[in-house]
Amino acid sequence: MMTTFPNPIDFAVPAFVLLIVLEMIWAKRRAPEKYEPKDTLISLSMGFGSTVAGLIVAGGVYTMAVAAYDVRLTTIPFAWWAWGLCFVLDDLAYYAFHRSAHRVRWFWASHVNHHSSQHYNLSTALRQTWTGFIAVSFIFRLPLMLIGFHPAMVFFCGAINLIYQFWIHTEVVDRFPRWFEAVMNTPSHHRVHHATNPRYLDRNYAGVFIIWDRMFGTFTPEVAEDPVRYGLVRQIGSFNLIWVAFHEWVGIARDLWSAPWRHKLGYIWKQPGWSHDNSRDTSDHIRQRWQDKQAWKTSTSSSSVADQEAAQPPVG
Amino acid sequence: MLAELIKFGVSLGSILALAGLAWVLKLGGDMRIRNAQHARAIAQEQVFDFLPVDIALDRAGMGALLRDVEGRQLLLRRHGAAFVGRLLDRSVDARLDQNFLILDTHDIGVRPITLNLGEDAPVWASALRRLPS
Repeated sequence: MMTTFPNPIDFAVPAFVLLIVLEMIWAKRRAPEKYEPKDTLISLSMGFGSTVAGLIVAGGVYTMAVAAYDVRLTTIPFAWWAWGLCFVLDDLAYYAFHRSAHRVRWFWASHVNHHSSQHYNLSTALRQTWTGFIAVSFIFRLPLMLIGFHPAMVFFCGAINLIYQFWIHTEVVDRFPRWFEAVMNTPSHHRVHHATNPRYLDRNYAGVFIIWDRMFGTFTPEVAEDPVRYGLVRQIGSFNLIWVAFHEWVGIARDLWSAPWRHKLGYIWKQPGWSHDNSRDTSDHIRQRWQDKQAWKTSTSSSSVADQEAAQPPVG
Repeated sequence: MLAELIKFGVSLGSILALAGLAWVLKLGGDMRIRNAQHARAIAQEQVFDFLPVDIALDRAGMGALLRDVEGRQLLLRRHGAAFVGRLLDRSVDARLDQNFLILDTHDIGVRPITLNLGEDAPVWASALRRLPS
């Protein structure tokens, strides 16, 4: 039962460091604004803190994984096909986790850390949460143990998944051949995911395989006429590490304190940006307003000058 | 345990070395708002449906105040190698000191910003008092 494998992330870290150095040298030559020393320090410190937090809660998470495995439907052996199947299903579980992390504020409070940089480089990949355990993000992997995959296999596949996601956080690479872009998550697809442009909000949740987004209708390609801008819809605007780590949890606490009783839970389980008095914007609201404006622009550009002068742009 | 401690130390050292390298390479640069057109572009990046009709630039390019057709006011300020926008409401603390307007948006970890708006400063200070709550 105590089968374990070495943590592949331990072996990947030197490569992470080397690639960040190479990307910095590229930035120095081509686009110095792609890196910002304080932002890099925050991202790497978040990554370090995330590792420490992971060590603290690892025992608890593994105990729950084993408990789930104890009541499994069947026993899946450590066969080559099982590794492949586990990796694919773990990536599907990641998609479910990641989509929830953007659509449920409780999960978002933990995941928002990864998106709070206004830069998109390899150091951003390491900007990881300290509060994943509080957000119970591990529950999305439990079904794999319940099916019958050994926890050690699932955690190993999860680590490989995480390593894959490191290198896609870059602007150095533009596009890969079409067949690769069709199946795999790539820098281009993931740039869209980190964007604040209304067109791109809450899209491309994939970890390794972009096919999940194509299957579930959440895929949007990067387009040249709408260059990606990174960060949050309301940028955090602070290099305070503690604030970066906990700001959304503080926001939830404030909302729970001030909201009427019957609306309090909405500030936990509804979309980020939801408010009971509609005083804020969700990503859906923002995209709808943007689409309305695009439609208005299209209609006026094809009408006469008189019609254009009479027409009013949509407000708000 | 010793191995874990060594890993801990090496990780911390790597973080500081990488951040130091970014600093030594002078990455990030010196971002400033160059002119009204630049401010307009940044504003629309921050709030896509904000169409400025009135713009006041800080003389050093560290920030700007903008007003749109709906009367909303947007503060732009530099944040590292990027810019941050805040739609202002009455909670903003504004203090006028001759040509300088000092604004505090009460963002945690962020100091008040001082904008040198020249002779426009009193006009914008007055407009800030008429903001909705």
